[in-house]
Amino acid sequence: MLNKKLAIVALMVAFPVGAMAAGENNTGTCGWGAKLFDGQRGIAPQVLAATTNGTSGNQTFGITTGTSGCTQDGVVKSNWKTAMFIDGNKTKLARDMSTGSGEALESLAKLIGIQDQHKAAFFQATKDNFSRIFASDNVTTDQVVASLKQVLASDSELAPYSKSI
Amino acid sequence: MPGRWILLLILLWLPLAVFADDNAYLNELVEQAREKNLAQRAEWLNLLHYKPYPYWPGMRSLADDPDFFNAPSGKTDAAAELEATLAGFFSTAEETDKAQNPQCRFIARYHWLKKELHFDPQRLREQPCKRFNQWRAALDPHQITLVFPAAYLNNPASMYGHTLLRIDGKNQDEHTRLLAYSISYAAGTNETSGLVFAVKGLFGGYPGLFAITPYYIKVREYSDIENRDVWEYQLTLTLEEIDRLLMHVWELGPIRFDYYFFDENCAYHLLSLLEVARPGLKLTDRFRWWAIPSDTVRAVAEQFGLVKRVVYRPATVTIIRRRLADMEDRQSGLAKGLVERKISASDDRLRKLPPREQARILELAYDYATYRSASGRDTTTPAQMHELLLARSRLEVPPQRPEVPVPVVRPDQGHKTSRLALGVGSRGGGRFEEINLRPTYHDLMDDDGGYTRGAQIEFFNMKWRHYRGEDGLRLEEFTPLNIVSLSPRDDFFTPVSWKINIGWTRKHFADNDEPLIFRASGGPGLAFNMPGTHEGKSVYYGYLEAALDAGKRFDRDYALGAGPVAGWLTDISDRWRVNLYARALRYGLGDAHNARELTLEQRYSLNRQSALHLGLHRKQEFQDYWNAAEISLQYYY
Repeated sequence: MLNKKLAIVALMVAFPVGAMAAGENNTGTCGWGAKLFDGQRGIAPQVLAATTNGTSGNQTFGITTGTSGCTQDGVVKSNWKTAMFIDGNKTKLARDMSTGSGEALESLAKLIGIQDQHKAAFFQATKDNFSRIFASDNVTTDQVVASLKQVLASDSELAPYSKSI
Repeated sequence: MPGRWILLLILLWLPLAVFADDNAYLNELVEQAREKNLAQRAEWLNLLHYKPYPYWPGMRSLADDPDFFNAPSGKTDAAAELEATLAGFFSTAEETDKAQNPQCRFIARYHWLKKELHFDPQRLREQPCKRFNQWRAALDPHQITLVFPAAYLNNPASMYGHTLLRIDGKNQDEHTRLLAYSISYAAGTNETSGLVFAVKGLFGGYPGLFAITPYYIKVREYSDIENRDVWEYQLTLTLEEIDRLLMHVWELGPIRFDYYFFDENCAYHLLSLLEVARPGLKLTDRFRWWAIPSDTVRAVAEQFGLVKRVVYRPATVTIIRRRLADMEDRQSGLAKGLVERKISASDDRLRKLPPREQARILELAYDYATYRSASGRDTTTPAQMHELLLARSRLEVPPQRPEVPVPVVRPDQGHKTSRLALGVGSRGGGRFEEINLRPTYHDLMDDDGGYTRGAQIEFFNMKWRHYRGEDGLRLEEFTPLNIVSLSPRDDFFTPVSWKINIGWTRKHFADNDEPLIFRASGGPGLAFNMPGTHEGKSVYYGYLEAALDAGKRFDRDYALGAGPVAGWLTDISDRWRVNLYARALRYGLGDAHNARELTLEQRYSLNRQSALHLGLHRKQEFQDYWNAAEISLQYYY
């Protein structure tokens, strides 16, 4: 147990994703980043909750709780789906874009509605423009969304998709 | 003028007339339900989560929330609940963001009763249930998958595992499963003390709640942070069955069940959802006393035709190991150097390698840095991790992520979790017969197929012996808790192994008496792969162990000691495993004495569910030395 706690404390300090929940997200009115881990600093409490099979008491994903932030009865509202996915998978997307492949990137392509014949171009574009999309190690979700939009808009094949982000 | 009055009169009487009509129809429906004995049908009892009491006859609902029942006696009276539910369906309350009409609130009940009683829409108006329909549309359900995260490194307790259900949408495939939603059942608490959580959880001190979560959040928890391999069992539920399941989940949304770790846990409650989905499935019956998540997965897998396909999702750490296995030491050394900031991504030693090799090294370094920061060893800053990705993105080569082979034995195919052993042996010349009952779960000598290698967790292990020439059985050992983690270290992973053992055992005193004494022991250790071997197939290890013995026979009632354990655990073949170890404990406090032991243990698997076990021992306690040997047949059930 002690080991785990140490790990968690260290994790709170170390893990970059942790910063995400700390309230830096103020995109729009839904406040998705903060909502994901309502009132919790970092993902550490989530880790603990998972290992002990507890939930952290917040009911953001409660099933019949009505409207709450960016969810409706526990399911993410359609206009927030892409933004929230990027927010929740930022590190994974960075990894995937650096190789132009992977599950998070495939899922993002699906969310944006990239058709099969454009997928390869989309993957390649994210890889080629990695340094634009992830301009630094602490880009916000807004910045990722904005630069991804630009990258798509400046690509003749992918331009139509820039509107669906 | 009179026309107006008549109209007003009609308007005034109309509601009463409607009530009268409602009442008449409700009475008809109740009458029909009684005739058909609907309240005792399995479908209805499942919807109410009725289960037999463990100790006495009769049934009650496991739900501990008055909101789940329309009748005051609904928790114990299924018929009263059915009739009160029918009455509720006549409500004309409009749906709002926070409140629902009873038809929508209990939508699975509504649809089942509608089918059984053929509701007349003229006399019982059907509500639109917009919120449910929106929710269902957003999930776009197509398939249900049972998800089982396996144990994680150096934490045998996590072998107990966890299960969740995943709702797979129509447009998803194996590459886009992150977009699915998962349904989980967990104790709702902000408790941060693991111990408090454990104790309260044993006695139902927390409310258990169902929740729906994007699957990517779960994947991040299990695969990326906790490094647990995840098994996904895609089920054959039809669209109709999936709808039934979702409707029932909707009903359960706000409902509280008292959460019990051992029996009414996540795994148990998810099985009950499947029983609602497919009437006739009997999954929960066998878990009256305890429900180990992996056993519930087995119960699902054993149902003929319920599992369509099984997908394995390796954790980050599994992928790292695979990368390492495919790589030369010189390359992996560079990756480690990158993570430990000994070299930078623009270092010549890296840059002059062919692009493909550079890519492999950078990808490994990034994965490893992720693993290290997730396990709290932050030698790499976010800026450096970003550098690694940037360097990787500039290489024009395809992804170097390896294919991780799917383990040959799945979690549901491993040995069963209870074990009975019958054996004979000899100790210091005296013959004995022995019975060993281990209710649960896995030890280091058991076949690892479907389990995590190097992880042992046993509860309530009991051993009895009958010595020739003596009367009766004598309890030899009773061990409520026994956990061992044996995690080999290497350049990339440096876990500290550990063990803890609490229970009662026989101690040999100077006068040849052998009373039962209490013992708590444990300590940290280090383990390493034998050179030239990998994946823990041959491991040598050492622990530093402390032991507290307590009992009336000791001077001052106790003895406290410490000492080393050293051993070698190796697989000679797939079926044959050997563990050789020596242990020396010096009890310095209390009743001072020495205890030493040299043991050779062997296990030979006859098949998945049975094995032969042979133990040879040379032991010393106080002044006496003796030899012992026993052979037993182990049967898993």
